[in-house]
Amino acid sequence: MSLVSVESLSKSYREIRAVDDFSFAVDQGEIYALVGPDGAGKTTIIRTLCGLINPDSGVAMIDGLDCQRKFESIKPILGYMPQVFSLYPDLTVTENLTFYGGIYGVVGEDYRTRVEYLYRFSNLKPFADRRAQALSGGMKQKLALSCALMHQPRILILDEPTTGVDPLSRRQFWEILLELKKQGVTIIVSTPYMDEVARSDRACFVFKGKKLAEGTPAALPGLFEGSLYFCDCRPTVQTLEALNQVSNVQARRFGGGIHVYLRKDVTLPDIATELTRAGFDTGGFRPIRPDLEDCFIQLMEES
Amino acid sequence: MSEAFRGLVRKEFIQVFRDRNMLRIVFAVPIIQLLLFGYVVKLEVKNIRTDVYDFDQTRLSREFVNSTSAGGYFLPTPAETPLLNLESSFQRGSRDMALIIPDGFGKELESRGNITIGLVADGSDANMTAIGTGYMTRMAQKYARDVVGMRMPLNVKYNVLYNPEAESVYFMVPGIVATLLTMVTMMLTAMAIVRERESGTLEQLLVTPISPYTLLAGKVFPFAILGLFEISLALVVGVLWFDIPFVGSPLLLFALSALYLLTTLGMGLFFSTVTSTQQQAMFFAWFFSVFAILTSGFFTPIFNMPQWLQYVTYINPMRFFMNIVRGIMMKGAGLMELLPDIYTLVIFGLVVFTFSAVRFSKRAS
Repeated sequence: MSLVSVESLSKSYREIRAVDDFSFAVDQGEIYALVGPDGAGKTTIIRTLCGLINPDSGVAMIDGLDCQRKFESIKPILGYMPQVFSLYPDLTVTENLTFYGGIYGVVGEDYRTRVEYLYRFSNLKPFADRRAQALSGGMKQKLALSCALMHQPRILILDEPTTGVDPLSRRQFWEILLELKKQGVTIIVSTPYMDEVARSDRACFVFKGKKLAEGTPAALPGLFEGSLYFCDCRPTVQTLEALNQVSNVQARRFGGGIHVYLRKDVTLPDIATELTRAGFDTGGFRPIRPDLEDCFIQLMEES
Repeated sequence: MSEAFRGLVRKEFIQVFRDRNMLRIVFAVPIIQLLLFGYVVKLEVKNIRTDVYDFDQTRLSREFVNSTSAGGYFLPTPAETPLLNLESSFQRGSRDMALIIPDGFGKELESRGNITIGLVADGSDANMTAIGTGYMTRMAQKYARDVVGMRMPLNVKYNVLYNPEAESVYFMVPGIVATLLTMVTMMLTAMAIVRERESGTLEQLLVTPISPYTLLAGKVFPFAILGLFEISLALVVGVLWFDIPFVGSPLLLFALSALYLLTTLGMGLFFSTVTSTQQQAMFFAWFFSVFAILTSGFFTPIFNMPQWLQYVTYINPMRFFMNIVRGIMMKGAGLMELLPDIYTLVIFGLVVFTFSAVRFSKRAS
């Protein structure tokens, strides 16, 4: 049985459907990523799992218990890190940890060994007496994670823990998550970053409150339909416009060049004449394998 | 559970003592309020600057004028402006009253005839006018009695209990104690809870196994302690600096303050459930405080208020606490004398605190 299961979850705010008939399940020991742009509904799903929101319909369950009705029994096994930094900025690193130790009833020798352990992986010990408000973004997130881990939860729910954090700290943060996974902790994490999806066990694409697709990071790009080419030309507005005029083609700026999507059953020779007429050299088109982002964008546009 | 409660209380104290603004509210505000009210607010009237128009210019008239300066209530000086212009010195604000002694004052007095003297007062200061004209009337009667042996057919012998000198500060300090306890505990509680909501820490706490009631107790208890500390500070300054007498039992005062805290903390809790920012919470607490202070009898006696307003004062818990503080400090009132006020505060406390606690924990779960 899945440790976490969400079934047909729906939640509206006024006329906006934040989450629309959303279902997924997470197994014990998995890292499950909810990926999507801002406003996709990730936070609503996560807050429902944490008993903070009552859904309009559907159920969220953790360890066989209803997140809305039996949340008290879930609390001891759950660690939650909200999107905004929610520790006490005027307390030091140690004081924040001690506070959460008290809240979770982790005291005395248990507390000391737990804090030593948390310091070891967070590398926050040299900053023990620094106030939380004076920490860097990355360190703040590590402190928040440490507090959420105080009571050794079996399941960890993280809402965009790495948004606004520098790339190096993001990598360190994910190393900690992978370490926790080894210890058997189940992790649900939301993120807008595709490179983080690659490090999860399974991911779910979320857009406008709906589930677009779900799968392993390796399998997800396989959902891409049609073919993809990299056009080695300057990605100006004019070039993009000219390419999009060509039938069965969608062009999008991608780094230094342009990604050109061809619809299913359409090949490059099929549109060669049209391309030449638009002033493009077909030799400049190089077939490439679609990645997670290409796949996500295609699914997003189709929805 | 008690571990969580202790953690909450310790955290709250660390935050209070680390926040400069909080420290100012906790330590500076009571002392400044006491000094301000103790020195500035004088309900008794002294040094009334009085222009004397003495048209009699006899030994007796001069003696009478001199006698009015006894006790420091009047500062009589010979008038410099002509009588018809006496208003101009009021308008300039250089005089408060004018005393007019008619020609023949001395002669009439000696022959025990009927004498009328004139007193003109600057009514723009209503308090000074009311009190000053009273003083002058009494002084004139006293002069007539003592110096000339004229007898009034009816005399009043009065004995003012508890504060015979009518020292404002004796009356003010208990008022400040009641005010401080109300404002500090209500405002700090509301703001401390709303701050946690603003910063998202409250939501974080709701995901932990802590029960809403432990959370509530842990948020409210530190401010109860601070409130009792505040009144101790105010009392120490009042007794040591202003020499105010403390007639009753300090223990009873603290016990009843703790009872009153149920209401003020409950109010703070309530404001925290109807506001979402610290500014809003502060505004609510301020608004309520102004209402509570004005209708508590702190400055103006409740019996002076129009009847409908007197009824309104019954919904002000501070009114009853004010009575208790003044009763214990100034009159030495004991438990039995204060029972009606105590019953009322018990009801207020239970209703307000329970209502707010239920509201708070409903929102918290």
